[in-house]
Amino acid sequence: MSRLEIYSPEGLRVDGRRWNELRRFECSINTHANASDGSSYLEQGNNKIITLVNGPQEPKLRSHTNATKAVLTVSVNITRFSKTERSKSSHRNERRVLEMQTALVRTFEKNILMHLYPRTQIDIQIHVLQQDGGLMGSLINGITLALIDAGIAIYDYISGVSIGLYDTTPLLDLNTVEENAMSSVTLGVMGRSEKLSLLLVEDKLALDRMESVLAIGIAGAHRIRDLMDKELRKHGEKRLANVSSNQ
Amino acid sequence: MSIDVLSVRKRQEGFQFVNELESDSDSDVEMANDEDKVDSGEVAKDGTIVTPGELVTDDPVWMRGHGTYFLENQTYASVAGTVSRVNRLLSVIPLRGRYAPETGDHVIGRIAEVGNRRWKVDIGAKQHAVLMLGSVNLPGGVLRRKSESDELQMRNFLKEGDLLNAEIQSLFQDGSASLHTRSLKYGKLRNGTFLQVRSPLIVRSKKHTHNLPGNVTVILGVNGFIWLRKTSKVDNASDASNVSGRNAATLSGASGDYKPGSNSVSITRLEEESSWEIYSDKNDPIPEAMKRTIARYSNVIRALAHCEIGITEARVVAAYEASMAYSHVGSLIDKDNMESIGQDVINAEKMRGNA
Repeated sequence: MSRLEIYSPEGLRVDGRRWNELRRFECSINTHANASDGSSYLEQGNNKIITLVNGPQEPKLRSHTNATKAVLTVSVNITRFSKTERSKSSHRNERRVLEMQTALVRTFEKNILMHLYPRTQIDIQIHVLQQDGGLMGSLINGITLALIDAGIAIYDYISGVSIGLYDTTPLLDLNTVEENAMSSVTLGVMGRSEKLSLLLVEDKLALDRMESVLAIGIAGAHRIRDLMDKELRKHGEKRLANVSSNQ
Repeated sequence: MSIDVLSVRKRQEGFQFVNELESDSDSDVEMANDEDKVDSGEVAKDGTIVTPGELVTDDPVWMRGHGTYFLENQTYASVAGTVSRVNRLLSVIPLRGRYAPETGDHVIGRIAEVGNRRWKVDIGAKQHAVLMLGSVNLPGGVLRRKSESDELQMRNFLKEGDLLNAEIQSLFQDGSASLHTRSLKYGKLRNGTFLQVRSPLIVRSKKHTHNLPGNVTVILGVNGFIWLRKTSKVDNASDASNVSGRNAATLSGASGDYKPGSNSVSITRLEEESSWEIYSDKNDPIPEAMKRTIARYSNVIRALAHCEIGITEARVVAAYEASMAYSHVGSLIDKDNMESIGQDVINAEKMRGNA
């Protein structure tokens, strides 16, 4: 068998998408109503992620108290069975995971209206059940949905997506195979604007290609925002119909 | 920068997303139009659903309430919920959220911490509430000063994990609450079981303690915490005094022999009652049948909560009667059974409304 063709001359990627196509995106909120204040379940391609938000609540530790704003903690649990091969170590204290947690905290600290919740703590717990590239972007989408479900005030949606650069062509929403084959960027985009709340570049990338990469990334992120928004409205309408018929 | 923006727009036209192929690309387009419709001076209608970051109005005359934020003369929603307009106040009521305490609420809480002259109480709000040593009835009567020995034996009154019902006395600047239990109907809870529902399901009313058929008393805390217990002497007494009080009030209009305070608990009685017994940890012996009744009530309340039906005394009783069709108490929390009980309650109410 020959090496996998990442991007064929006909313009098809390994999983049959074109350069500007997203993977299948499905989400639902309020999936764990009894275990948390807000929760979401997200499938972005083969990524499957459960996000639970607890709070605002009394800080577990005195030292976590801030008299002017809330304290945000994020813990990412990547399960051992999340990849094709079972990993021997739990990923809990891996440097990569710790860095992800820090990046997520920094991103969402700026998006939540923290000053509304003084002397409280907001805990975000993420469980990655299955992963297939572009994990960081999916984590961001999951957190956004769960925070909204928890009724925590935020400025806007943040939608995350990864973009790779194959030769000169930007490819939207990478899977694992593609992610390993090329350098990539992860974006966190605020709502429908073109403001970036996260720009994660871990590989070398030609600077003059950056513009086209960001352009397709922002457009893809807006599309994800719309998909999340649609699900949220559907949920809201269902809920309102339920309440009005029962009161 | 402007070149950037242009290039995005241009590319966007040529985009084709897999998700668009699925079905409803139309609805998305409409949605986008809806949002654009909020023109100068206009406000999203009362009761429409908004999501975070959505423009609610760009008219600066509106006052901005909860669930909104203000940027460059425009008011945006910060939570997903429905728009509510009261006079000039614009706010968004979230679909979900934690219980927000208000002065006078009858709540149930759990002691989380014993501190310096105060208890911290978990009432399911954003922060723990405070119960000061000075706002509880101590053994030996209310009118007694709190001494240093009381401070030292605070754990003998209430310790971590104890449940109590109390009233919100006041709110602090940051939204946390201060409680008091200075009434016989408040205090430590025993002889029963606890369950929790979403707080919006409990409607604020004059009375939150109800004596139900089957010798069971329910306390519906406004914070969504519920306590079900064997009806005690105090419950019966308060019920009786309530009824006779009402009668007396109606009589007084006619004959004028109404003596104020004759039916309420006297101060001396209060002293008798607030003995060490009110802080006892011992449960009374509860017969098996009673436990079963309490469990049945607990499960029907769960069923009401599952169907998102507001929980009131009448509905709990109605649901209890409907549940009699199921002999096994444990089967009540099957999803189908919960839904059928909820349906029964709604139908019964509709019938009564029509009759």
